[in-house]
Amino acid sequence: MSRFFERYEPETRQFFDEVIATEGSPRPHYDKMLQRFAQFSIDDIKARREIVNIFFRNQGITFTVYGEDEGVERLFPFDLIPRVVPAHEWETIEKGLIQRITALNEFLNDIYHGQKILKDKIIPAELILGSQHFRREFVGINPPLGIYIHVTGSDIIRDRHGNYLVLEDNLRTPSGVSYMLQNRQAMKRAFPVLFDKYKIRPIENYPQELLRTLQEISPISRREPNVVVLTPGIYNSAYFEHSFLARQMGIELTEGKDLVVNNNKVYTRTTRGLEQVDVIYRRVDDAYLDPLVFRPDSKLGVAGLVNAYRKGNVTLANAIGCGVADDKVIYSFVPKIIKYYLGEDPILENVPTWLASNPDDLKYILANLDSLVVKAANESGGYGMLIGPESTIEEQEKFAEMIVANPRNYIAQPTISLSRHPSFFNDTELWGCHIDLRPYVLYGKNVTIVPGGLTRVALKRGSLVVNSSQGGGSKDTWVVDE
Amino acid sequence: MLSRVAESLFWMSRYFERAENTARFLDVNFNLLLDLNKITHVENPNYWIALILVTSDKERFNSLYESYSARTVTDYLVFNKNNPNSIISCISLARENARSIIESISSEMWEQVNNLYHYLQSVTPQSVQNDPYSFYKEIKNASHLFQGITDNTFSHNEGWDFIQIAKYLERTDNIARLIDVKYHMLLSEAESQTEIVAGSEDIIQWMAVLKSCSALEAFRKVYLSKIDPDNILRFLILDRTFPRSINFSVCAAEDALWRISGSSRHRYVNNADRLIGKLEAELSYTAIEDIYAKGLHHYLEDLEQRLVKVGEQVHLTYFAYHTPEIEPLDIEEALPFTGVAGGRAYWSQAQQHQQQQ
Repeated sequence: MSRFFERYEPETRQFFDEVIATEGSPRPHYDKMLQRFAQFSIDDIKARREIVNIFFRNQGITFTVYGEDEGVERLFPFDLIPRVVPAHEWETIEKGLIQRITALNEFLNDIYHGQKILKDKIIPAELILGSQHFRREFVGINPPLGIYIHVTGSDIIRDRHGNYLVLEDNLRTPSGVSYMLQNRQAMKRAFPVLFDKYKIRPIENYPQELLRTLQEISPISRREPNVVVLTPGIYNSAYFEHSFLARQMGIELTEGKDLVVNNNKVYTRTTRGLEQVDVIYRRVDDAYLDPLVFRPDSKLGVAGLVNAYRKGNVTLANAIGCGVADDKVIYSFVPKIIKYYLGEDPILENVPTWLASNPDDLKYILANLDSLVVKAANESGGYGMLIGPESTIEEQEKFAEMIVANPRNYIAQPTISLSRHPSFFNDTELWGCHIDLRPYVLYGKNVTIVPGGLTRVALKRGSLVVNSSQGGGSKDTWVVDE
Repeated sequence: MLSRVAESLFWMSRYFERAENTARFLDVNFNLLLDLNKITHVENPNYWIALILVTSDKERFNSLYESYSARTVTDYLVFNKNNPNSIISCISLARENARSIIESISSEMWEQVNNLYHYLQSVTPQSVQNDPYSFYKEIKNASHLFQGITDNTFSHNEGWDFIQIAKYLERTDNIARLIDVKYHMLLSEAESQTEIVAGSEDIIQWMAVLKSCSALEAFRKVYLSKIDPDNILRFLILDRTFPRSINFSVCAAEDALWRISGSSRHRYVNNADRLIGKLEAELSYTAIEDIYAKGLHHYLEDLEQRLVKVGEQVHLTYFAYHTPEIEPLDIEEALPFTGVAGGRAYWSQAQQHQQQQ
């Protein structure tokens, strides 16, 4: 074992460690990695850290913290030890996600058409019709190929026993795929020898697959579709990703002010006049898309866009109104949704979930606030959360009040000890840090998943929150053929 | 290409050129004062006030500093973030514009803007004071490198032409201002605008003007060692081959505008082409005597005004596009004239921070 791993404490009695099975014995798919790291000194690691930092800085992969004077730019935290997922485990994840996303799309199609699932009382109708992401005005609209969720990123965790569980589905504008791609580039530069020792499935084709998916959902077939990316602008924390994807796909990156709607068709303003747009990969939330329909104060949207969409002159990816299916309350129904539309048992399990809107569950939640994780149904990015075991009595009381006032908006789950993965601290020693996995699923004529995804890691010691807005970082993720 | 992308290319280029020119002014002023140390001293405020006149920024400067000195003027023109034309502001704005179109420019271009930005963050006023020559050289070289990278890694299509237009309009404006300031330095108000007397101090000053345009060597090849103001003005305003002369720069801007629109001599298709064509034609048939007849100062002021008009027309023709069915843009609102970060981007900043999944 290497000098770094000699001193590493996996604490396997408490946690599922991705690398070490029981004290002293690594899992077989990490053997070659440990052998390689055994050859490295602290200086070797520091030198590789420098290569990675320069790569990220030169690529402009920074996120900006805007204060009062000028933005401070920081590198997105990146851990040098890659995560290895053996092919047979990946097959399960892949099948499970294809099943899940197919069922969720069927669900959206049903909710925005006949609402059979509500009539059959599989899901209480008030949960859907009362959801802030349900867009009544889009009932009856037919998106091309019947697809609503073209790009998704479900978050997958492993429990105490190493089972893969889905923690949440992100069906609106999931971010992070550019980090997945850039992490791979950085690792190739810093660890070429280690790379050569594994048969790593490539992910570099993601932008081409994304473009193909977007072209397949074009409303017109008589000419090469004009596809654009729509970004909120350079001050959005994911702006780098929007521009990166546009560049990789070779298409225009647009802001709301670049687009104009005329006669229910969408055009870009160019130096040569107007050019019609067929597909918009939008990274702007529903609420900001069109000031005539949603928030009238939106400066990011395009007036008339929604009408052009309703007339079928432009396709939006993802469709408007998908948020109704990634609501944390609806999440608890996904196993039933899979069973209802596909007649199958879910391949990937959910995390057990209690709904505060259900009176029995509510009692249980209020009685166990100190051990549960409570989440607001519609928040993302790690906001609006109570982690019971880490909270104070005052915080629990505050949440209890909020839950009772608006039970529809809260769910609770047991505190899962996410699996841990050794990660560098100060590039000198290894700590076990909690991780999750976000694979990116593309849905055009078929469902495509590039192998792996973004492994997010909670780099604060002991922290369970992996979101980048809360001090999380990421690792390269290798799906390897044995 | 998207109007917004064209506009950001334009401003990225313009700010970069402006930073380079400011570095040139400052560099030469230091040299000049060292050359003249027999008759004056490095802190002579008359020489430093000239640099503030170059940028037409006297009021803002006076609101920030008490006196004109090497320290205050350098601080204002290099480091002050309240001065939108300081080197640090220009490079920040060039970078913001580049960042907003990072998918459209080459990654080498981005790296160069980004590197210069990070370099400037690490420079202190003390280090510039200790070794001004190296610092200004670094800025000039960074600008040359950026232009070289652009020429060699970025397709020479419409976007490249917008970069050229911006660069040469900015350069023309800077040369005109530089000559104009020398003019102020030279002539007391009582003197006639047509008589320029050449003393030894005067010759050294004129050489400084040439140097700040990197023009001294090129000038000598044309006029040998005869450094007299007529020849210098002929060279800096009317020469058609030197890349830091007004005539050359106007021709280059005109070429780029014509490539975009498809205009040709005697046949313009928009107002930007018409105005630049008119300017170029006049320059081509102007003699130095015509300039004196009008008065050098008036001539240059008029030139600067006309460059502003060309810039406005470029904006209206290519950046502020609208069709008759779509509500025309309010020109006041549509004319930030600073590209991305100085103007209209901030109004939507808060909304852009919307939550990400």
